[in-house]
Amino acid sequence: MNETDDVVALDGVRKVFRDFWLRPTVAAVDGLSLRVRRGEVFGLLGPNGSGKSTTIKMILGLLDPSGGDVRLFGLPPRSVKARARLGYLPELSYLHPFLTARETLRYYAGLCSLPRGEAIERTRQLLDMIGLSSVADRAVGGFSKGMARRVALASALIGRPELLVLDEPTSGLDPVSTREVKTLVKALSAGGMTILMTSHLLADAEDVCDRVMIVNHGKSVAEGRIGELGASLEDFFLAKVGEGDDFVLADFLS
Amino acid sequence: MRRWHAIARATAFEMISEPLSLLLLISALSLAVLAPAFHYHQFGEATRMARDSGLSALFTGGLAFAVFVTIKSFRREFESGTAAMALAHSLSRGAFFTAKVAGALAAYAVYAATVAATTLVMVRGAEIGGAVAARTGDIARVWGPSFAIGVCAVVVPPIAAAALNRFARFRFVSTSFLLALLLSVGGAAYSFRASLASSLAPVMVLAAAVAPAFLCAAAAFSARFRANASAAATGLVFAAFLPCVGAYYMSDALSRGGFLPWSYVGVAAFALVPAEAAFILLGVHFLDRLDLQ
Repeated sequence: MNETDDVVALDGVRKVFRDFWLRPTVAAVDGLSLRVRRGEVFGLLGPNGSGKSTTIKMILGLLDPSGGDVRLFGLPPRSVKARARLGYLPELSYLHPFLTARETLRYYAGLCSLPRGEAIERTRQLLDMIGLSSVADRAVGGFSKGMARRVALASALIGRPELLVLDEPTSGLDPVSTREVKTLVKALSAGGMTILMTSHLLADAEDVCDRVMIVNHGKSVAEGRIGELGASLEDFFLAKVGEGDDFVLADFLS
Repeated sequence: MRRWHAIARATAFEMISEPLSLLLLISALSLAVLAPAFHYHQFGEATRMARDSGLSALFTGGLAFAVFVTIKSFRREFESGTAAMALAHSLSRGAFFTAKVAGALAAYAVYAATVAATTLVMVRGAEIGGAVAARTGDIARVWGPSFAIGVCAVVVPPIAAAALNRFARFRFVSTSFLLALLLSVGGAAYSFRASLASSLAPVMVLAAAVAPAFLCAAAAFSARFRANASAAATGLVFAAFLPCVGAYYMSDALSRGGFLPWSYVGVAAFALVPAEAAFILLGVHFLDRLDLQ
């Protein structure tokens, strides 16, 4: 396997979605290039619909890019070997509603090929970590959004990944859970894990990211270390993506 | 293989946890158990009626189960994002698709075994009851103990599963499904502890062997089209193969004392394998080109 310091590498990546008749409908990502280095926490920031999740899904091999090159651990993202080394938390907690929390984690342990004994032990540890041991045998279909989010996060961690991909990790969480997730991200990063996260909540990024890229309309508008982008990430962000915004609430209200 | 097994197991479990599955199973069992009762008054034909009803339930209900429950399971996986979650792990799309098809086939096997076993119970009941009624002249004696077991196969599993759900938090649908299997197979084993209806078993296998081909077709189309379009495409395949499907009705030959050799069953079932393989390859091809949201 190719070993490289760039865990994720995108070069001029484009993604154009097409309808059933292959007519182009929207260009979600347009010539994006980025590098995520081993051991860092990289934040992909941008407003809703800016192409963050599409970029993540191309990195995971779930979407094929229309152009450009995507590399994961130096391999194509569809490579089974590359994906064996990552964990993924999607924007919405996609879980089988008929499985219990324990069965869900065992299912993902199976997908990570953990031996039976290790799967049982790891499931127990993660249920304790996310504070859901007492409801481990309840179907996740009946869980609140926050509880389902915690199960999804544990699912992403069950295989002890080298790269953790978090798509809007604090989405749907209350302030206490949000703080816990940020603490967890910091702890995982301190343990050497590489983390790629998307968010439109700038406070999240400011607290945990080493480096960020701001994307808008599928293009990179700024990239750098948190401290290099100015005193306030929010002011910088608004300056970069605020102009030309189509959201005219004030006009509507008047 | 652990990853493949995890997907197959989850799919089989999902399919027997689906309320539509239980509805189809109960409907098929009701047809197999209750339909002959309305015909028992045709003295001397009870066995044939039981056999025809059971085979019809096995065949038509099996097709409905294989197609509709498979489409529902596959589409839910793609549309809810659980397929994306699974495929973000070290699993190829081909392995994912074949594992899901294997899980769907396992769920269908549970369905087919339950309906087939209940049919055997009914046939045995009709044979014994008919013989007693012929000897005594009392037509009401056709209703033998096997019929009671058959009715139990329909009524007892949901009631027992509801009780287990209430008091022990068992899942209602999948528990009903598995209890129906246990009860019907147990009933068939009890009814035929002396002898198995050797003329009926090959026909049942043949009738049950058709649905997997359509299950594979439904799975393949589900990887490309939405649910309604997948059902329509599978329906078109069924229409194209309908003339061949007619050959699977062997009841008339059986009722005249005929016997279907196992070798014929084997050859006929094997003839379906290329179609199943072709649909699986088509499904893998479709999934390989699918953008997973």
